[in-house]
Amino acid sequence: MKVTKIARSLGVTAAFALSATTALAGPYDDYAGTTLIVNFPAHPHYDAVMKILPEFTKETGIEVEVDQLPYLKMRERQTLELSQDEGEYDLIAYVVFSKADYVYADQLENLAKYFMNPKLADPAYDADDLIDGYVYNIGFAGGNKGYLEGKTGSLFGIPYGSETSILGYRKDIFEKHGLEVPKTYDELLELACKIPELEPGMGGVASRAASGHHASHAFLLHLAPLGGRVFDDAWNPIVNNEAGVQAANALKTLVDCGPEGAASFGFGEALGSFLNGDTAMFLDTTVVAGQIDDPKKSQVVGKVGWAMHPEGVRRGSQTGGFGIGIPANALNKEAAFLLMQWLTSREGDKLVALAGGNPSRFSTHDDADVNAKFPHMATFGEALKYADPDWRPIIPVWGKINADLGTTLSKVLTEDLDIQEALDGVAERTRAVMEEAGYYTWQ
Amino acid sequence: MTRERLNRMTPYMFFGPAAVIMVIALLYPLGYMVYGSFRDWDPSQNISETEFVGLKNYITLFFDPAFRESLSVTLIFAGSVVVVEMVVGVGLALLLDRDIKGMSVLRTLFILPMMIAPVVVGLMWRFMYHPTVGTFNRTLDWLGLEKVDWLGQHALLSVIIADVWQWTPFIFILALAALQSLPRSALEAARIDGATAWQQIVHIKLPLMMPVLIVTALLRLIDAFKVLEVILVMTEGGPGLSTEIVALRISRTATEFRELGVAAAMSNYLLILLLFLTLGMFAFTRWQEARADRIAAAAAKAPEV
Repeated sequence: MKVTKIARSLGVTAAFALSATTALAGPYDDYAGTTLIVNFPAHPHYDAVMKILPEFTKETGIEVEVDQLPYLKMRERQTLELSQDEGEYDLIAYVVFSKADYVYADQLENLAKYFMNPKLADPAYDADDLIDGYVYNIGFAGGNKGYLEGKTGSLFGIPYGSETSILGYRKDIFEKHGLEVPKTYDELLELACKIPELEPGMGGVASRAASGHHASHAFLLHLAPLGGRVFDDAWNPIVNNEAGVQAANALKTLVDCGPEGAASFGFGEALGSFLNGDTAMFLDTTVVAGQIDDPKKSQVVGKVGWAMHPEGVRRGSQTGGFGIGIPANALNKEAAFLLMQWLTSREGDKLVALAGGNPSRFSTHDDADVNAKFPHMATFGEALKYADPDWRPIIPVWGKINADLGTTLSKVLTEDLDIQEALDGVAERTRAVMEEAGYYTWQ
Repeated sequence: MTRERLNRMTPYMFFGPAAVIMVIALLYPLGYMVYGSFRDWDPSQNISETEFVGLKNYITLFFDPAFRESLSVTLIFAGSVVVVEMVVGVGLALLLDRDIKGMSVLRTLFILPMMIAPVVVGLMWRFMYHPTVGTFNRTLDWLGLEKVDWLGQHALLSVIIADVWQWTPFIFILALAALQSLPRSALEAARIDGATAWQQIVHIKLPLMMPVLIVTALLRLIDAFKVLEVILVMTEGGPGLSTEIVALRISRTATEFRELGVAAAMSNYLLILLLFLTLGMFAFTRWQEARADRIAAAAAKAPEV
């Protein structure tokens, strides 16, 4: 009897001790020793991420093995991996286009169940601080139009390495000629063509224009601020309306007044011409800031100022870049969520920003330490408030429409094809693609 | 009896492994592609989940102006590069078929371009064609001539030049090998009869080299239809669709448009086209050989003078 009592009290003590240990255990303890395999692109942001991953392992005991691939290759690899029963990757970075494909094919985890799990979700995560445009652009699916914010949507990924558009300009050239930084599209276009007159041999704005997604990207960059869209709310193509023609005209003006050979520039050449000092302005993604201040790559270090993407009838800068999500066939989903949460937390976001990455939070853009190291960050933060998640449609058939738009615009730029006629053709072909994909079933 | 049967089986046993590898490595993917071309296939889907659409992919492509433009770009590209490369390659071989000091070094130098990875070739030429910092335009500028918009206005010509630079050496080494294996007696006889160098080339060397040259041209033609990396890196098919050859369109259809069925159908069109070209070339060789045999037979029959 006595023995039983002692045994019972020992049992109670042991149980209490065990529960106390569990209660006091850190959120990462159950996963310490796990090795996560993640798939990231070779991209300046993810190069910065590589620098902060050892910090995560130190803090959590979770090891991370990274498969870093060029981003087109990455997408190909993911397409194969995600269709397997058991995937190799626990966490993937994906380009915004992939959202439509992966979510539609049920290949990405809905994040609700992780954020609902008290053992996994950090109460201090502060999701409201994440940049709205990026979250809806990259992470959200099932809302309005299927890819935007809306009551029917939910979260499948978190922006990480996202970008918006910004205007870089040569402070020295602007000061030399007493020029004002353009705030509107009219001012931008006028100034773009004035620069070659003021500085012979120098182009106005460096823009992408090469056939395919380069030309399409450049056109869409102007379409949103000038008030246009590719589709109306009923999926009718409206790319050939007045705003569309204006956007194509803007692109043509910028290319005509741009550096020599601008019509065949891809992103690399456009950036190169700005870094070489051949162009006075650069209107494109924020991801280039690091390179512009790198004396090894740039001849314009310290000469570049940053301003908001000029305003047309509205403000609307691009949203793009990458997000991170958990594949539905991942083996270590919970640990992958912990890594995802850590990377995109306030602390993680600040760490990656200081390492040269693109932050995904408003607070990081306002952070004093980050701004001391990268003075442009405050302007970028301001621009992000106008990041437009609907500047291009994220639908499965977009790849085909995008390619047609890009090659047709390239003809406008190089073969002097009439703009209205060109865009009418795009609209007509787009309608056929949409029809086939079933977008007019309810009409 | 058993031994006899075994003996009879021997060649098949040796042939067996090669046949198995051929079926697995060649026929299976080919069959998979043909099967895939009849389906509406998104890369996110397993092929078993895809819908059978019959000949729809082939019919759509047949009426697709972009595909037709790609096809004509491919024909122009392949035709031009093969003709230019054959003329230059064989010409060089005829010029260099002699004992010159340092010939082996020269030959190695000549074949260097084809040893370079296509992506590097693409990048190299893209930089050389660069409108402002490229070698060509800087040279033109230095000479006081007007700059040329290589990859804009003259994109197809520019990629043809790059391909000719890379692949002429291939024709050159094969033509040189053919030249050096020609029967010396025929050439000596021609020399004794007083044939000029030009007459020797036209009437002896070229006709004797012809079988090798035809196979060389065929190999080059097949390869030219499949060039992808150099053009992808140099122009990405642009401006417009002016340099988008079929191989590039197939790649874009599969990755950008995510239409694997259409890409497979396009590959089959290309395969059929190449098959006809190859058959045509072989038929031509056969006809030529038969003609040569007929002439030889007629000559043998003719009474001695």
